[in-house]
Amino acid sequence: MKKLCIFISLVFALALMSDSALAGDPNTFVKATYGTVRTLDVATAYDTTSGMRLRNIYETLVEFDGESTERFRPLLATEVPSVENGGISKDGRVYTFNIRKGVKFHEGQTLTPADVEYSLERNMIVDQEGGPSWMMLEAVTGYGGTRKDGKIIPGVFEKIMDAIEVKGNKVVITLPAAYPPLMGMLQYAGQSIYNKSWAIANGAWDGTLANAAKYNGPDFNTEPLQNVANGTGAYKLKSWEKSNQFVFERFDGYWGQRPAIKTAIVKYVPEWTTRKLMLQNGDADTVTVDNTYYPEVKAMKGLKIHLVPQLGVSMAFMNQKINMTANPDVGSGKLDGNGIPSNFFADINVRRAFQHAVDYRAMREDVANGLIHNPRSPNVIGLPYYKKVPLPDFDLEKAAAFMKKAHGGKVWEKGFKMTITHNTGNTLREAAAMMMAENISSLNPKFQIEVRNVQWKDYTVKYRQGLYPIFIIGWGADYPDPHNFLYTFMHSNGVYGKHMGVAYGDVDKLCDEGIQNADPAVRKRVYHKLQDIWYDRALAVGVYQNILVKAYREETTGFVPNPMFADAYELLRLMKKR
Amino acid sequence: MAVFISRRLIFLVFVMFGVSFIIFGLQMTFSPERRAMVFVTTPQQAKDIPVLIKKYGFDQPFYKQYFTWLKEVTSGHLGYSLVASDSVWRAFWRYFPITLELNIFSSPCIILFGIWLGTKAGQKANTFTDHFTRIFSIVGWSLPTFLFSLVMLMIFYGYFRLFPPSVLGDELTLLVYGNTGEFVRYTGMFTVDGILNGRLDVTFEALKHLVMPVLTQMVVICAILMRVMRSGMLEEMGKDYVITARAKGVDKKTTILKHARRNALIPVITVAGQLVAALMEGSIAVEIIFNRKGLGWWLAESAMQLDMPVLMSLCLFIAIVFVLANLTVDIIYAYVDPRIRLS
Repeated sequence: MKKLCIFISLVFALALMSDSALAGDPNTFVKATYGTVRTLDVATAYDTTSGMRLRNIYETLVEFDGESTERFRPLLATEVPSVENGGISKDGRVYTFNIRKGVKFHEGQTLTPADVEYSLERNMIVDQEGGPSWMMLEAVTGYGGTRKDGKIIPGVFEKIMDAIEVKGNKVVITLPAAYPPLMGMLQYAGQSIYNKSWAIANGAWDGTLANAAKYNGPDFNTEPLQNVANGTGAYKLKSWEKSNQFVFERFDGYWGQRPAIKTAIVKYVPEWTTRKLMLQNGDADTVTVDNTYYPEVKAMKGLKIHLVPQLGVSMAFMNQKINMTANPDVGSGKLDGNGIPSNFFADINVRRAFQHAVDYRAMREDVANGLIHNPRSPNVIGLPYYKKVPLPDFDLEKAAAFMKKAHGGKVWEKGFKMTITHNTGNTLREAAAMMMAENISSLNPKFQIEVRNVQWKDYTVKYRQGLYPIFIIGWGADYPDPHNFLYTFMHSNGVYGKHMGVAYGDVDKLCDEGIQNADPAVRKRVYHKLQDIWYDRALAVGVYQNILVKAYREETTGFVPNPMFADAYELLRLMKKR
Repeated sequence: MAVFISRRLIFLVFVMFGVSFIIFGLQMTFSPERRAMVFVTTPQQAKDIPVLIKKYGFDQPFYKQYFTWLKEVTSGHLGYSLVASDSVWRAFWRYFPITLELNIFSSPCIILFGIWLGTKAGQKANTFTDHFTRIFSIVGWSLPTFLFSLVMLMIFYGYFRLFPPSVLGDELTLLVYGNTGEFVRYTGMFTVDGILNGRLDVTFEALKHLVMPVLTQMVVICAILMRVMRSGMLEEMGKDYVITARAKGVDKKTTILKHARRNALIPVITVAGQLVAALMEGSIAVEIIFNRKGLGWWLAESAMQLDMPVLMSLCLFIAIVFVLANLTVDIIYAYVDPRIRLS
């Protein structure tokens, strides 16, 4: 018993010791989140968490002007090029950037236009599988990649190196054709600028055309700049304990205004309760809040909550050409009351019926606590050329009427059986699947729809094989332009268009016209037309456009919401603490 | 003894081969597309799946993939962990000390507390003490670890603000992970490294952050030891030699502690060996909820993301731990009960 008392006393003594938490310190910013950093190599980072780290360590030529996704302000360039100031040629092919002088890298080197040229070229030449290089490659070479069938496309590296040139203190980017979203791509963290000599010394591409192929398509663990960083940003890397915590330290040689926060710590805390208690106890200035937990943070005192609509959208795609091979989700595979045929959703009446079977208001208000917009087309609120096309109303009578007409009345007469799948853990997608299943099944006793959940990674494999009659999936903006969404969702070669089994000649033509034209009036006409087509042809059921919850302790200010940036994003140089 | 140990160690090689073969075979049940998906985190990246399959040879026959992996492992390359964003080898040595440190503190507590409670319960069968400890053990064993961890966290950190999660507070974390040369991570266990660096503040803070995880594991895990110990004690207490010892005038305390408890320990050692070995895999719930990045967290995350190099390596590690734990248990048997000879 005496030993037990000693043990308990020791525990109490430890409990009374003060802890070295820093979130209360006005010079330190602490964030707890569940995203992990994959790499610090600008050329290969394609996840939002790595992007956040890079955005604070490195800088791009231009950045978004505050909350806007259409206006830019200069960063490493001295001004934002435009047709008016002569920075963009009239045909929209040539972009000229004046490079800022007197900018220092964290390791002491001075920024030169050669660094900019090298960085932009390397960010394309590396072109890792699944990496972000495709964006600039599409604009600069027209290919969207440096390899085809595993082999390097002849002349692609020459094209890259010819497209970006230094002229005095300027860097000139010459495109084969106008590419309107270019500026949005250049603000992307994957187009950050680093020091050429430092990168080469660390084993990166040596800057020569002859050796470009050697540095192309590296394996995931072999990027030379994966663990090191040397940018011009307001913060430098102090320490990175992988999958644990990342520490920034203010860069005293920063060319811009001196940031208020001296040290920023981003901690990896996967469990929500732990994060919530850290926020509540003041051990974190902000934490990642999934929308499900919004009521909990709303009830907490001493917080400032920002609601940020995201440039991203989830839709339930109706597959018009279902792959019937060993497919458990289509029943008998025939319209005999026990299954559905491959072309079940090719009939617009079926698609319309499904659109009218979703209670969009309930989705928004009851399921999502008001934290979503109901998307009307892939060109969601916040994207240029947004058009408010009609949102199908929740009306089961209309749904029944469409079903009666579908497939010449055979659907109503025989009935059908199918499964709607959704990925595990996404409550909104699950709710949409359940609504469609229950409401459509209620129209006719011969309609049988089951709902099944599948792990996200398995889900991605299966929808790509065309196995799901309806697949519910989302897309987040790579850059804020309708091309990134409408092409993806509607073009017969778009990531989702392809798997929906659609091939509309007019749609493909309009998608191509939209990206090849720099004239805003033409683009407006094209993208409005595509949004009308989306509605007229009832291609998918809009599930949600997410609204992000960002919760900060009251004493922490400086967060600038921008729909392009997900939870990982914080521009530390603007953050302040009382 | 030496022959016995050598034989067991040779046996270990076959166990590892068998384990690796089975685990590798299991992963082959996933389609090449599914295995390539480990490199994909966004819908945008999914278009590269066919190229990734070719690049990493996921479409090769089983024997080819297995021997390629075996060749890499035998030449010291365990692969790359996408979960840890690092080589498996380096990541292992980052996470293992965190789990080891927790176990160094929790295992003795669990074992000693379990034996003490079990002895008390057996000694005072059918009294209030016995009923209380039995209820305690049933409740402890029935409690899901994640739930109990959450309750402990919410009470002691959320309400009393006493025992924060993670391994250290912010300021000392900056010191130990700062790579400034001020603090050398000799072992990766901060209680030990604090002493080695002459920074007792690190040691004490690390101890403070260990209190909740250790207590949680104690309550949840010691129940089984207590039950085994209690049964053993009841059995031994009824044996003739105990009655004879008491009849000869040996006092009760000596009879229980020197004779009955020692004999009752044999099954406890078996169970304790397995428990300690299992703890070396890391306690997933405790590590996640108390935010300690150890092997348990890594294993769980890797399993969810199908990070195969990690799963293969950790399965091999677990095989080694279990073989060594069994070997240690056998050696302790001989020490506790001299009638047992190792052969």
